[in-house]
Amino acid sequence: MNGVERRKNLQRFSILATFSVLILIVFVISMNTGFSRLSPLEVFQTLFGMGNEKQQLILFEFRLPRIVISLLAGAGLAVSGCIMQGISRNALADPSILGISHGAGLMVVLYLSFFPTHLDVPVLFLPVLAFIGSLLAAALVFGLSYQKYEGLLPTRLVLTGVAVAAGLSALMTVLSLRLSRELYQFVAVWLAGSIWGTTWDYVLALLPWIVVLFAFVYYKALVLDVLSFGNNVATGLGASVSKEQVKLLAAAAGLAAACVSVSGGIGFIGLIGPHLARRLIGPNHKYLLPASALAGALLLLTADTIGRTILQPSEIHAGIVVAIIGAPYFLYLLARSNH
Amino acid sequence: MIVTENLDIAYDQTLIVKQLNVEIPPHKITALVGANGSGKSTILKTMARLMKPKSGHVLLDGKAIHRLKTKEVAKQLAILPQNPTAPEGMTVIDLVTYGRFPHQRGFGSLTQKDKEVILWAIEATGMEEFAYRPVDQLSGGQRQRAWIAMALAQETPILFLDEPTTFLDMAHQLEVLNLLEELHEKEQRTIVMVVHDLNHASRYAHHMIAIKKGTVVKAGTPMEVMQPDIIEEVFGIQCDIIQDPRTGLPLCLPYAISRSQKEPVIV
Ligand SMILES: Nc1ncnc2c1ncn2[C@@H]1O[C@H](COP(=O)(O)OP(=O)(O)OP(=O)(O)O)[C@@H](O)[C@H]1O
Ligand SMILES: [Mg+2]
Repeated sequence: MNGVERRKNLQRFSILATFSVLILIVFVISMNTGFSRLSPLEVFQTLFGMGNEKQQLILFEFRLPRIVISLLAGAGLAVSGCIMQGISRNALADPSILGISHGAGLMVVLYLSFFPTHLDVPVLFLPVLAFIGSLLAAALVFGLSYQKYEGLLPTRLVLTGVAVAAGLSALMTVLSLRLSRELYQFVAVWLAGSIWGTTWDYVLALLPWIVVLFAFVYYKALVLDVLSFGNNVATGLGASVSKEQVKLLAAAAGLAAACVSVSGGIGFIGLIGPHLARRLIGPNHKYLLPASALAGALLLLTADTIGRTILQPSEIHAGIVVAIIGAPYFLYLLARSNH
Repeated sequence: MIVTENLDIAYDQTLIVKQLNVEIPPHKITALVGANGSGKSTILKTMARLMKPKSGHVLLDGKAIHRLKTKEVAKQLAILPQNPTAPEGMTVIDLVTYGRFPHQRGFGSLTQKDKEVILWAIEATGMEEFAYRPVDQLSGGQRQRAWIAMALAQETPILFLDEPTTFLDMAHQLEVLNLLEELHEKEQRTIVMVVHDLNHASRYAHHMIAIKKGTVVKAGTPMEVMQPDIIEEVFGIQCDIIQDPRTGLPLCLPYAISRSQKEPVIV
């Protein structure tokens, strides 16, 4: 008995370690790619404080913050998706079901259509606006899917989410038709999921959300396990199903909203990250949550790095790279779930 | 001791159960019987606080069960719902381990006691050889036994089971029923089960409740409930009741479907 347990733990540990090593490799590659090339040796020298001023500027002020944002946002989106999938018992659920990125997008577009000349705002103004927009959208989806007698029913949540997202996105399209070309361009880039916050300010704004919400969600790992048995079994085991669902969905919404507001509308990470992790490490959230975070971080950093390299000197937005990989994966999932 | 007071239970607007008053005798095995769709699962779920009634109460030791802390109830009462599903890839031993959830806090590290109970539950249901297999890759009967093991691991004085013997072959049906009987005899647990086989109900239960369209037609000992006219009313079949030569308990031998229950014949 114990032998089997030990072997399993070893297996889990090696999966987490492999993810970490892969992230490290992509990190080094990413540090090396960009408009001005530095050799790996120069990168290492600079990282350990032995580079010249120009090298330091490139690495520490341009590349590193962007890499850190990609890692944080990727991890956050994947953990958010992991929560959504656990609670809804649906492998196709992800934060977009809560209308997160549509809410954020709509809020930004609303602001720009009423104050079209005010793009010169303090750095964190637009992310904060986007954050508020996403939370409002999530609250709307909750509100519409909550039922008095039965509480939160996963299927209803998914359907409401799809409807709300479609509505918000239609509204956004109508509004953005009235924007000037430049502003429209700006919005389009944001929606495509360019990692737009690329300074340390954004890292500092995102980090506390990630740390606090990760800690909370990880503390709830066992509850998430129990909720993934469905409402009946979970209640029978003594979980306060409605309360826990609301708390965890709020955490999922908060995570996704914080990420999307600095990374733009990046889809699929919240779907693929946790799904990949679940296939490798199993349904136990104590291991699944960290594995999802690592998978999400790896995916988004890789996507952003590819996007920056492939068409140099111009770049493809990370969100588009993710979608190019994500869409076929999504179809594959759909095909599989038909059996 | 569980009592229901004037329970009305509804899904959305359709009232399924009307003015239900039943008593579950403590330290006994109770069988709920009735036709498909008569409301057995609905009643069981409401008595176990998985569903809220539209009106009325369920009292557990005199207190309204829906107002009690759900985790405290889970230490008193375990329920195996009909057709539960486990997340893909979850192993039997992990599933059974979650049965300890009501007794754990926070991260849920297992105590020595927890581990012993988990092993006992796996052995009692004969699941040793499947302990590390994913639940979704088991046969229907093996899966059913894994879920029973989870309910057993909860170690509660009250145990509710919705059709614990479905999917099981005859030997495993008897095995599960014997296990329940043993739990009752050794530990005086209160057991409520939904069963379709009337002869199993008669053989293993001390108390039977016959349900038709959400109301109680008859509650009492197997002797009192296993009457041809009651069975005809509840199930729409005609039967002979004979005495089991081995136990002296009533056995039901159906021989015909009542006329009113048959499909109307169109000429
Ligand atoms: N989730 C639901 N929503 C609406 N109606 C439901 C729901 N679940 C059950 N019902 C209806 O309630 C009635 C009672 O169902 P219940 O599951 O309690 O029957 P049962 O006696 O357990 O039947 P079976 O022997 O087939 O398990 C049925 O008419 C059924 O169609
Ligand atoms: Mg039923």
